[in-house]
Amino acid sequence: MAVDLRALAHKTWRIVASIQTGVVLLILVVILAAVGTIVLQRPVTEPDEMQSAYSPQALRILDAVGLTDVFHSWWFLGLVLLVSLCIAAASIDRFPNSWRYFSRPYKYPDESFRRALHPQKSLAIADEESGLMAAEQALHSVGFNPERVIPRTIPKDSRADPYEGHFGIFAERHRISELAVYIVHASLLLIFFGTVVDGLWGWRGTLNLNEGQTSNLVELRDGTTRALPFAIRCDAAGQENYTDGTPKKWWSQLAVVKEGRDVQKKEIVVNDPLVYSGVRFYQSSYGPNGKVDKLTLVAVPGNGSGVKQEIGLAVNDTVALDADTTVRFAEFIPDYAVRDGQVYRKSNELGNPAVHLVVTSKGTAKDFDVWFPPMDEVADNLKAPYQFQATDLKMGHFTGLQVSHEPGQWGVWSGVVLLGVGLAFVFYVVHMRFWAVPVCDSKTGKYSLWIGGSANRNRDAFEHRFSDLVVLVEEELKAVPRTSPTERVATVVGN
Amino acid sequence: MARARAEQQQPATGTTLIVLVGLAVVFLLFMAFLNVVTTKTGNLLNETNLLFATLIFYSGAGALYLGFGVTGTESYVKFASLATWLGLLFNTAAIAHRWYEAGHAPFSSVYEMLLSFVWTLAVLTLVAEKKYGVKVIGTVTMPVAIVGVVLMQLLRTDVHPLVPALQSTWLHVHVTLAMLAYAACALSFALAMMFLIQDNMKTETFLAVTSASTLAIYASVVLTRFEKWGGLSLAAWNPEAKAEVFLAKNVRLFVTIPDLGWLMTLTLLVVASPLVFYGLSRWKNNDSFLTLANRAVFLSILLQVMALVVFLVDAYDGRYPSLDADGKFPTSLAASPFILSGLVGGVFISLLYLLLLWRRPDLERLLPNADNLDRITYKTISIAFPLLTLMIASGAYWANQTWGSYWSWDPKETWAAITWLVYALYLHMRITRGWRGRRAAYFAIAGFAVVMFTFFGVTYLLPGLHAYA
Repeated sequence: MAVDLRALAHKTWRIVASIQTGVVLLILVVILAAVGTIVLQRPVTEPDEMQSAYSPQALRILDAVGLTDVFHSWWFLGLVLLVSLCIAAASIDRFPNSWRYFSRPYKYPDESFRRALHPQKSLAIADEESGLMAAEQALHSVGFNPERVIPRTIPKDSRADPYEGHFGIFAERHRISELAVYIVHASLLLIFFGTVVDGLWGWRGTLNLNEGQTSNLVELRDGTTRALPFAIRCDAAGQENYTDGTPKKWWSQLAVVKEGRDVQKKEIVVNDPLVYSGVRFYQSSYGPNGKVDKLTLVAVPGNGSGVKQEIGLAVNDTVALDADTTVRFAEFIPDYAVRDGQVYRKSNELGNPAVHLVVTSKGTAKDFDVWFPPMDEVADNLKAPYQFQATDLKMGHFTGLQVSHEPGQWGVWSGVVLLGVGLAFVFYVVHMRFWAVPVCDSKTGKYSLWIGGSANRNRDAFEHRFSDLVVLVEEELKAVPRTSPTERVATVVGN
Repeated sequence: MARARAEQQQPATGTTLIVLVGLAVVFLLFMAFLNVVTTKTGNLLNETNLLFATLIFYSGAGALYLGFGVTGTESYVKFASLATWLGLLFNTAAIAHRWYEAGHAPFSSVYEMLLSFVWTLAVLTLVAEKKYGVKVIGTVTMPVAIVGVVLMQLLRTDVHPLVPALQSTWLHVHVTLAMLAYAACALSFALAMMFLIQDNMKTETFLAVTSASTLAIYASVVLTRFEKWGGLSLAAWNPEAKAEVFLAKNVRLFVTIPDLGWLMTLTLLVVASPLVFYGLSRWKNNDSFLTLANRAVFLSILLQVMALVVFLVDAYDGRYPSLDADGKFPTSLAASPFILSGLVGGVFISLLYLLLLWRRPDLERLLPNADNLDRITYKTISIAFPLLTLMIASGAYWANQTWGSYWSWDPKETWAAITWLVYALYLHMRITRGWRGRRAAYFAIAGFAVVMFTFFGVTYLLPGLHAYA
């Protein structure tokens, strides 16, 4: 039973780590993502648009299957998790092999390896040492750092000095390239991890502020409100236009208020957010908020005497016109309608605005309702002790901020950087290896230098490199005197 | 056998060259007739004239490359690459002019991106020719560049100021990377096609593919634009505003050109006929149907050219009734860039097939061998893939700066990710499963199809946040 379980686990592992599973999963992701761009998605579509696009029955089926919100459905998330699992498993499965390859480089080519390797070349040499030296010189001259190596197991017929006659030359470059694919896979997992963290602990919402307003309540995507531990105040906001009237720039001067103190200030524009304790505030829109910033009036006393006064009022402001008359800005209706002697607010869009002032005389203790525009049914414009003329109406503006908290984004960005590095290594950094071994032909007793090379990618370019190296070795061989070291010693002694 | 046929063929003659240059001149005169060239502003080095010079040299290069493709005369290539160099010079000047005039890198509209795309294509053509010796590549890429320049003339827009979301260095990084990546993908596609030729893929398979692609073009035109009583509906165009006419948000006003729908339907049927004959030849195992199919291709080219000319004449200028509103409204070629490029592309694909049908042995002689093409295809993809990765990453970073989210599953983003995945699959199959040759070539072709959809299809079929381009 235990063995069966083990076999089952092994089998499962093989399936998960196999490239076929990965390919099938990726194809599934491709298909489902494509479907998600073709079927209208609920989060970005108005409900009535959905209804006009699909019949109720089709919509019910699409909703039930989750095709109207592919990218937030459990099965899509599950699929992406499976892909990550598959990447992780495949990497773990293959890593030990690559690590062995990386940590214990194959330095001395044995005979069967020498026979199979391509490219390779044999050059005639006088003796072992001259061949080795020529190979070393040539490798040095192309920027490699060759080392003398010995076989892991010494052949039985070894001479007195076990190493003599068995030296080889090994040189390599960019061994790290063998591990590059794991860097890429790890970076992908890091990106997935970041997005999962964001999915679980991140949030996004909007915060609309009027100039001068302070708030810490962010309206989230799902309609709920989130209270921040600090507040944001908008000191000023504005829009600059191109000459043709299209918006050029939106800006807001924001301040972070914590425990009554301004702790940070910044003027943000689109593409340049304010960041405070992991929460980012982006400029996303700007526009009139339907509220009055300032109403400018000219008031003339009704009896014709006295002087004109210019007054500025915000909503609910009260200003004294003379010793016993005051005027209050009672109400601003952005879009009004009159019915049965009542003024109604039709909508909050700035369409058909009306201004309501209340003029109070202390002497008569009577209120007069003054309306702009003057509406006969409700307005006492002519009866009021002052006549008013509205000269300017300055509307207030709001700045629209996108607020987001993405604690996982550092994972995403470091993953992206790592991905770039990894891909650069995968495609452009080649692990190149060269071997050179003097070989003695057992029949003729003549020496030759066997040179071989290998590259893990871009093999055709490597072959050019290899033949260049062979030419260099040949030149070095010509330069080195074709005498063996022992003969040279003998000549010295003879002198 | 193929070799023998190649030797029997006439050596290259000057006649072909003269005919081709003549065709290019006629084409240029036609463009001039379309009122492209202008000296109204008084400044000779204005953008329009620079673009026109670009067009002249690219056309010359295209004609010479085609001449090379058809006759195999090596000396044409020298002149062709000289013409490409000159065209590139003017193209660069046009970009610089635009950049100077706009004050930002020219990547903010379809027009400006085409400008950069054509430039990249010309550069890559020269690189492929000089570095890798793929001389015949200009036969494919230069006509594409010409179509790009013609499209630009029609889509010409005034310098638009950038809306706030686009004012970022990341815009330039993102779009440059996208253009480079897409151009590399286009190159890998062309190389994969050449590989298939060198890999002895049957000519009739190319016939089926050519016919199916042109069929797809005409089917999409007819299915989406055929109107009652045989009309063809096109978007209305406001010449003063140089913009499409909108009835409501995202609802365009369409005008109907009478009878053009019938012509398109007729062309659709003729274009489909080679595919039918091909199917019959496979079914009945009878090669005589293939002869019929090849004749049908020839006929379909004639009809396609006719449809294109009638479309150009009708849609170039004129006022037509609309089904949605009373009165007559103007339209313009600029209002239907995709139908236009589809029709031109159809003719181009069919002509390439004829080139293959008539001159296959020559082509085989001129192209590098299959192994080399396979390797170069892989190399271009290994350039394209990191570029795609960086393009997506820079886009995500920019989106995070602008919209506060690095990934929002907007259709363009999703399709960019799909493109990336398709090429990732290609690389895995190649590296771990040892996929070489045909299967890898099919993959490269499929990858480019996805790129095309991401670039054009998504913009016009699946609107989203990327509404700028």
